Amino acid sequence: MSALTLSRLKKSFGGTDVIKGVDLEVTEGEFVVFVGPSGCGKSTLLRMIAGLEEVSGGEIVIAGKPVNDLPPVKRGIAMVFQSYALYPHMSVFENIAFPLRVERLGEDEVRRRVGEAARILQLESRLEHKPGMLSGGQRQRVAIGRAIVREPRIFLFDEPLSNLDAALRSDMRVELTRLHKRLGATMIYVTHDQVEALTMADKIVVLNGGRIEQVGTPLDLYHRPQNRFVAGFIGNPKMNFLEGRCTASGGSGVTVDLGPLGTIALPRPGGAGLVGETLSVGIRPEHVRLDAEGGFRLALKPGIIERLGIHTVAYSPLPSGDTFVALFEGDPPVKDDEEITVSVDPAACHLFDASGAAIGVPA
Amino acid sequence: MSSGRPMIDRYRWYEYVAIYCGMALFLTFVLAPFVEGFLVSLKPLTHLFSSPYRFWPDDGSFDAYFTMWQSVPLLGRYIVNSLLISTVATIAVLILVVPAAYAFARFQFRGAGALLGAFLAVNMFSGAVLLIPLYRLMRSMGLLNTYFAMIVPGVAFLIPSAIWLLRTYMLRIPRELDEAAWVDGASRFYILRRIILPIAGPGILVVALATFIGAYAQQFIFALTFNSKSEYMPLAVGLFAFFGKERVVWNELMAASFVGIAPVMVGFIFLQRYLVAGLTAGAVKQ
Repeated sequence: MSALTLSRLKKSFGGTDVIKGVDLEVTEGEFVVFVGPSGCGKSTLLRMIAGLEEVSGGEIVIAGKPVNDLPPVKRGIAMVFQSYALYPHMSVFENIAFPLRVERLGEDEVRRRVGEAARILQLESRLEHKPGMLSGGQRQRVAIGRAIVREPRIFLFDEPLSNLDAALRSDMRVELTRLHKRLGATMIYVTHDQVEALTMADKIVVLNGGRIEQVGTPLDLYHRPQNRFVAGFIGNPKMNFLEGRCTASGGSGVTVDLGPLGTIALPRPGGAGLVGETLSVGIRPEHVRLDAEGGFRLALKPGIIERLGIHTVAYSPLPSGDTFVALFEGDPPVKDDEEITVSVDPAACHLFDASGAAIGVPA
Repeated sequence: MSSGRPMIDRYRWYEYVAIYCGMALFLTFVLAPFVEGFLVSLKPLTHLFSSPYRFWPDDGSFDAYFTMWQSVPLLGRYIVNSLLISTVATIAVLILVVPAAYAFARFQFRGAGALLGAFLAVNMFSGAVLLIPLYRLMRSMGLLNTYFAMIVPGVAFLIPSAIWLLRTYMLRIPRELDEAAWVDGASRFYILRRIILPIAGPGILVVALATFIGAYAQQFIFALTFNSKSEYMPLAVGLFAFFGKERVVWNELMAASFVGIAPVMVGFIFLQRYLVAGLTAGAVKQ
């Protein structure tokens, strides 16, 4: 069943359109992540769903009911803010109990629900403390506790991990995923961090400039990006794009002349109209091989090499002035300023037309 | 040199000399009138007009602190009036300013900037400029010679700076706190009462103290103009009772001044640390 439906949703501040017509369907129990560069409108979209921003056009439907004109509390949502927004003068107990106090629930019921939330979040020993005495991760959990006691239909998270340090962030990622499994609730999560998106989401919504670029499962977006933006945004290090001119296109393959880098033939059907067009070939850094024979061969001279133990990342200048990034497993014998020849399987490459739309999908 | 101070707080000896000389000069100007006033209150009246004048009272006594209650029987009443007028003015200002400051800190409405600018402009007029119009207003409304006449204009002049002060404090409270409470179903007034007021507590205390001082200082001019009933006089005006037909009873006048200020001073000594804490501490530490 659909937990949330957005149709032709628009938002403008003054004369500026921030959200330019968003359509989205969220299924009950799904963990949906909105991801995109800063300023893409992902937080605004979340705040519109929450009821913190007015809707300029279109409709928000939660559990079959249009909620455009309802205040947040009547939408059946609960929100966790980036700064956690804990009330510094209240104890952890009162912070979590706040929504229930507003509802004027009986003391017994308040104790029961706060106790339950504290148990789930392992905050039982902290209930009498003030937020100022808690660590970042604990504050985060108090903020989540305040959302849980409302028993909302949809949880909204606005970049909740961005104030935590890297180690704590990966712990909290696991904890949030566990919480989602346990509660089975619908969750919408905003982040600019693709790692968070890829690791936690059932469904990722990639936003750019107020529009949805693509919706799909994490691996869907990784393997089958529908356009150049998604291809460049998902994956770390970023995908390399090589510009070239299409010299041949047909049912069996597309050939692209990359100028000084050579010619690559991608085994995928292309329309005859592509000949003469400017295309870009997308190569993921992790698809570049040092040892393999055959494939598309490329001569590189790495300027900078990052050795991470598990991986080695080589940055090589290209004749076009761009930098080509290659990711090798382990610690291969590559050195600064020493030429190497690498190979890429053309079948694994991505291909985009001049407008950025993907042509075919990699095998 | 490991004096235990951080490097940024260390100075050379001549820098210390300069700093302390500067402080001494400044404090002399600030405190000398108080010291001299206190010494005068200890001297017998005849002593005050002797020549050559001597600063140190050889035969000083606290007699003036006892005789003043007889020579001006209403003195106690004046002191109470002063405190009453300032306290009522402070309470009135707080009741009006807290919601106003919250509105200016949180709501975006047409004319908010202009209104705040106008409040600043009000501060540029001293009360004295508006005394005559205010007097005519009070007279036509039949409010002369009442506490009301001394309190309300005072409140009006104190509101603008109080709004500015408290608004600045409230702006430092993250807006996400309001939003979180609103998402959880709290109304604006509930948010103001349960979230903003407690967090802004130190700021409100600062505003209350500043307003009280302001009310205490400015009541003189309003009392002098709008009131001729001696029972309603605040201390500042009441002290004129020591100005006799032929002579001014300086020692009792000074003694009365000190006794009148004493309650306020004591209060301030206790509240001072909150004042400093409120002015410097961040509202919410992340």
